[in-house]
Amino acid sequence: MNNNKLIVSHAPFWHDGDSLFQMNLNIMIATLPAIIFGIIQFGAPAVGVLALSCSSAMAWELIMNLVSKKRISINDLDSAVIGLLFGMMLPAITPWWVVITGTFVAIIIGKMIFGGIGANPFNPALLGMAILMLSWNQLLDFDTALVNFSFDFTELAPLAAVKFQGAGTADLFPIADLFMGKQVGAIGSTFGLGIIIGGIFLILRGYIRWEISLSFILGIVVTAFMFNMVNADEYAGPMFHLFSGYTLMGAFFLATENSSSPVNKIPMFIYGFLGGFMIILMRNIGVYPDGTVLAILLINLVNPIIDNIRPKALGKVENNA
Amino acid sequence: MIKRSFFTLTQPKLKYDLIEPDPKEPESIPVPSSLILLLNEPIDSTRQSLIKKGTCVKKGEKICLYDGSTEYTISPVAGTISSIDTYSDDFGNISTYIIIKSNQSQTTDMSALAYDLKEDIASADEYLRPLPGAPPLAMLASEDSKINTIVITCADSDLLSTTRQYIAVKYLDKIKEGALILKRLSNAAKICAIVPQGLKIQADFDSMQVVNTANEYPSNLPAMVLKDHFNTILPAGKTPSDVGYCFISAEAVVSLANAYKNKTAGFEKVLTIIGKQGNKYRVKATIGTPLRKIFNQFSIHINDQDRIVIGGPMTGFATFTPHHPVRPDMDVVIVQDRDHIPELSDNPCVNCGKCIQACPAGIPVNMLVRYLEVDQYEEAADKYDLESCIECGLCAYVCTARIPLYQYIRLGKHEILKLRADI
Repeated sequence: MNNNKLIVSHAPFWHDGDSLFQMNLNIMIATLPAIIFGIIQFGAPAVGVLALSCSSAMAWELIMNLVSKKRISINDLDSAVIGLLFGMMLPAITPWWVVITGTFVAIIIGKMIFGGIGANPFNPALLGMAILMLSWNQLLDFDTALVNFSFDFTELAPLAAVKFQGAGTADLFPIADLFMGKQVGAIGSTFGLGIIIGGIFLILRGYIRWEISLSFILGIVVTAFMFNMVNADEYAGPMFHLFSGYTLMGAFFLATENSSSPVNKIPMFIYGFLGGFMIILMRNIGVYPDGTVLAILLINLVNPIIDNIRPKALGKVENNA
Repeated sequence: MIKRSFFTLTQPKLKYDLIEPDPKEPESIPVPSSLILLLNEPIDSTRQSLIKKGTCVKKGEKICLYDGSTEYTISPVAGTISSIDTYSDDFGNISTYIIIKSNQSQTTDMSALAYDLKEDIASADEYLRPLPGAPPLAMLASEDSKINTIVITCADSDLLSTTRQYIAVKYLDKIKEGALILKRLSNAAKICAIVPQGLKIQADFDSMQVVNTANEYPSNLPAMVLKDHFNTILPAGKTPSDVGYCFISAEAVVSLANAYKNKTAGFEKVLTIIGKQGNKYRVKATIGTPLRKIFNQFSIHINDQDRIVIGGPMTGFATFTPHHPVRPDMDVVIVQDRDHIPELSDNPCVNCGKCIQACPAGIPVNMLVRYLEVDQYEEAADKYDLESCIECGLCAYVCTARIPLYQYIRLGKHEILKLRADI
């Protein structure tokens, strides 16, 4: 009898061929339209920031792998995606040490100490941004950061202008300009059209959940519309909010981060809407020009609670006794 | 293997295979010189066994290990027992395998032993349990059985298989005959049949109730059939027989009809064999034939690190030896080349939500796996619906992190049963 050594494992014996690498690669592909536009707009410094952000994020994860004597996990590209998204939120002129500090917070504190991929309660890239916002807020002020650039459109950061000079200044920024990336802002967040294309690509590919993106945008529009109706002089309109700042990035790339967002239908809608709602509250009433970072961290925080709203499983017998 | 399509906004669509319009005749596998039978009872070395090496058996003779054993099998050939040993399956359940050397000297068409079959279920249970298709006679015959509906499945429950459809198309008259016998034998009030949507035979069932199942996996699994067509939600942790339903394959009904007609058992099992390139063969083999004999006939070469899957790609099991015998309940055998075996990983769950979308039972698989990974079976069952799982395997099929989710769930259910049994 010639006995072959066969592979023995459990069902199912098929797989649809997806993997973490594929998922993260697709997210990176989806960011390309926005990133390429950002590089054309802001030139070589933008390339530098993105490259440093992406590579340092991966380096931090590698270091953490080595220090904690765990399997090398950077080949799933998760830290590369975090680094890339983090870089996209920075102004093109950002000192190198700020980038590296930010990715340190994002990867080590935001992700690795919670146990790596899938275990982070907050979106790591946003955690990095939040720390930078609290520590070096002046470096993230787009007006000062981009002071040496000259553009053929209004050279003012839209949200800051509206925040400090009143909603009347929103007229300086035609919606079409904002949509086509003619605005002062971060490397990857200005080109609305590109971000939407990337987002729709991810939705169709099944890598982000459309419920979150849709309800997030709905939250922004509805809340901003209500503020605008109450006092149009003080609060800018919904379209202005939708196409300025990090809003669209938040809707398609940040709020949809897998491990910090809910997976059931109703919770996804609540989560997204709450995110949009909080952003407008922070922009209109809070102290920061753009509330996206903190708003999404806040909804990350409520995610575990609202994700308990779920359908009853098949044949589940409720035991209320 | 069916890959993910480029655009996957919705959950995966896995279609059942529909039998070709004019089904090919199965190829017959000659009766091999030695057959392997599995007997669902462990060897007890302290007891005097009824059979031992060298015992002669007749074709159709009942074989049991000890005096008073309830488990038995039937020898499909006349021959001598050449070896008896212990076999353990993938969950470590111990049973016994018996190798029978067929007597080549005697003519092969020697008829099998005739049984004294009476018109009651106990008599059928006494002789006919190992018929091709494995009729659940033990369940029907048991004292406390509450079966009131018998469902004849002409639809294959797992993907790729067309065995039951072939039987249904080919032996419809026998199925009707067998249904009448079942009606006479059992106390079931109702007998109905499930037929896949594309199979145009329901008009031929005469008065029997026929339901059409969708051709998308997992609509032919018992729990889904009950939910979709019988308005019965299977309570978590219960089997269809607990709520009065008994599922019996079309092949079992046919062999029951034959057995009652000829007063003896049949041993020819129809199988669907899937080769390495996905080519499909339909064969008819004697129960107990080692799978290797079938592979040889179609020149399917088994190399190291290939995988032999018995019982479908989603719910089957992998055997460790190409000598695994053909068994009464085996509908499909798949050979996977080592290059086509998908890799699994030890990644943690990333909460992408694909399993939630795919799960037909609405189980929070993402939370469940977090408990199962750390052996918290009680919590998994209480809080996260472990026992609601209908065992379709879709969660692990779509898992982006490639976690063996279905394996965790099956292990969890197994451990829960053990824990409950200990109390």
